[in-house]
Amino acid sequence: MLKVAGGSLAALGLTAAGCGTGSGSGDGTVTIRYSWWGSEDRAKRINQSIALFEKKFPKIKIKTDFQPYADFWKKFNTQASGGNAPDVFQNAIGFLRKYDAKNVLLDLREQAGAGNLRLDGFRAGLEKFGEVDGKLLGVPVGSNSMALVVDQAVFTKAGVTPKPGWTWDEYHAALTKIQQTQGRAGDAGPYGIMYLYDLYLRQQGKAFFTTSGLGFTEADLTDWWTKAAARVKSGIYADPKKTIPAKPKSAVTAELAGCEFTWDNFAVRYTAEGKSRYGLAPIPTTDGRKTGQYLGSLMLSASKRTKHPKEAAQFIDFMVHDPEVGKIMGYDRGVPATDAQYQAYVPTDEVGKQIAAYEKQLVESRVLEPITPHPAGADVCEAAFMRLAEEMSLGERPVADAVKQYFTEAKTALSS
Amino acid sequence: MDAAVTSAPTPTPHPVPATGPDGRTAPADPPSGAGRPPRAAGRTPRPHRARRENLAGYLFMSPWIAGFLLLTAGPMVASLYFAFTDYNLFDAPQWIGLDNFTEMFGDPRWRTSVEITGWYVVIGTPLKLAAALGVALLLNQSRRGQGFYRAAFYAPSLIGASVSIAIVWRAIFSDGAAVDRAQQVFGMDAGGWIGDPDRIIYALVALTVWQFGAPMVIFLAGLKQVPRELYEAAQVDGASPWRRFWHITLPMISPVLFFNVLLETIHSFQIFGSAYIIGSQGNACGPADGTLVYTCYLYIQGFENSRMGLASAMAWMLLLAVGLVTAVLFWSQRRWVHYEEGAR
Repeated sequence: MLKVAGGSLAALGLTAAGCGTGSGSGDGTVTIRYSWWGSEDRAKRINQSIALFEKKFPKIKIKTDFQPYADFWKKFNTQASGGNAPDVFQNAIGFLRKYDAKNVLLDLREQAGAGNLRLDGFRAGLEKFGEVDGKLLGVPVGSNSMALVVDQAVFTKAGVTPKPGWTWDEYHAALTKIQQTQGRAGDAGPYGIMYLYDLYLRQQGKAFFTTSGLGFTEADLTDWWTKAAARVKSGIYADPKKTIPAKPKSAVTAELAGCEFTWDNFAVRYTAEGKSRYGLAPIPTTDGRKTGQYLGSLMLSASKRTKHPKEAAQFIDFMVHDPEVGKIMGYDRGVPATDAQYQAYVPTDEVGKQIAAYEKQLVESRVLEPITPHPAGADVCEAAFMRLAEEMSLGERPVADAVKQYFTEAKTALSS
Repeated sequence: MDAAVTSAPTPTPHPVPATGPDGRTAPADPPSGAGRPPRAAGRTPRPHRARRENLAGYLFMSPWIAGFLLLTAGPMVASLYFAFTDYNLFDAPQWIGLDNFTEMFGDPRWRTSVEITGWYVVIGTPLKLAAALGVALLLNQSRRGQGFYRAAFYAPSLIGASVSIAIVWRAIFSDGAAVDRAQQVFGMDAGGWIGDPDRIIYALVALTVWQFGAPMVIFLAGLKQVPRELYEAAQVDGASPWRRFWHITLPMISPVLFFNVLLETIHSFQIFGSAYIIGSQGNACGPADGTLVYTCYLYIQGFENSRMGLASAMAWMLLLAVGLVTAVLFWSQRRWVHYEEGAR
């Protein structure tokens, strides 16, 4: 209890006292700290990339640190509040405004101007993704997009073929068919995925967030969750009482559902996890054309307090542009953001090819639109969305109650 | 709390003092005074020497005093201040008076966390103590291999708080796992407990009950102190085993029982690790807040939502609650705890 709060305060005191150490030494060698979220596999690839970097820049040493996604942000938040954020770190769109407001992120424009960071050679206008209010707060390393991951064996046996531009009605008809013929739910349940609801809203000219608040009404969410509750009940969406204990395994690889919405670069994991063949299907539409999709991306950001902005920028530049790094990282961070890395890595595995084809189709069919803004507090909004959707799906909370609670929590998160 | 229990199982705040055959004890302060010979008279040290010894004493203690002031007292005072502020870790705290407390009481999720913690304490603690006392009674007979059994039953309380056990627990109580299959033998086809927000809390209760070893060892020490002749006398009078337990054992070990109730109750309020791990599957302390114990919610508010002011207020609320429960327990002990004559 108190130990929790007390311990953190003590930790703050210690980090505050200990910051600014270990960053330079007599022979001009500079050490910069780099942290990211991800798996063991990503760590291996990153360490190989760093070895290359240190060979090329013998005066710069990189010290690394990584955690799973949620733990990463808790640790980062504590470090950053103590003025001890890592020099370079992995970032995502939902955190740019939040940490910009707290003066944590370095505007990399200056380093780009000084020639330490190249902003040319990015695909599909990705270099704009890290811009907030004219500041360059992050540099994209790869692009990704929401997709429907399907168990291909199940879809084939059920005789369902998703096509670009298919509608939500067709999608739900397909789910029903799977449920009736394949002995498992159609979808794992899309109702708690903030980024998918965002697409659904965007198809209707709205969005999940505006620059300062929520871009939809209580009535919108009530409608979306009421339909979802009925579909959980009828078994078109998987029973959350079964999918929850299966985690961290996905409901699709656990053979509880035929498909689920997720980021396309996650598709790699399904093949490793499950026995079937998995593929990517298009996002259903409202009007037969517009998917509302945009490219998202992982980014690299630097700390405003770094003592070595030049070296940090050089490292980011290397991680983003170097073709060898592109080969090592593959599609782990999404489809590489720069032309140099995109061309350097040609996927040879089935999933990699599918991801490449999927994003190529997105770019070429011109369905992509500008990204939804993410105000400070977007991360808390996402967590609350997931949690309350789950409570609603379990029948623990009536839809109306869950919607009301969501708006209360979102307002608190977006105002603080 | 844990350290005190696991590293030194036997000492109790009011250990049952060694009694003579007449049931009387030296009217001494309980813990260490009983058997110590009185200090040799005529060696009263001179004052300045005493001062020097005091100084040396404080010097030896200084690392712990510094540690207490810097790592415990200081942060506590700071957190008391933060409890009345809006503090997000980055910007300077803003004084907002009692707003954190008003928000807390009006927050349905906070009330959920209080409710879940309350259930956990009220169900888990008595079950754990009953298990501990029951097994202690069985182990209090002289039989071969008692040492082995004692160690075996004690072992879970050494490893029970670890992350790995929490992960194992999650696996055992999942759909189609051991517990689910055992239920099916009895015709209950309700699925695992992990995915069910109403039952997952009982997986936590089961985990704490499983760790009955620590209070068991303390009970055993208490049971060994109950004079044999009381049982012999009762047996001569024809008292049944149940009456012997109710009228001799229980009153005689009531100080130990009190100690265990106190310790385990306070301990239960502080549950965090197992709830956080067993309940975390994408959502912290889920599903549907099924394992949202108080400290979990405190952690979420402080570290996920960056609301350290509110989290500090919650921490102090918990301290008040635990303090109140402790006070009630101390007040109640005069009705049911029997200290031997002179031992109080």
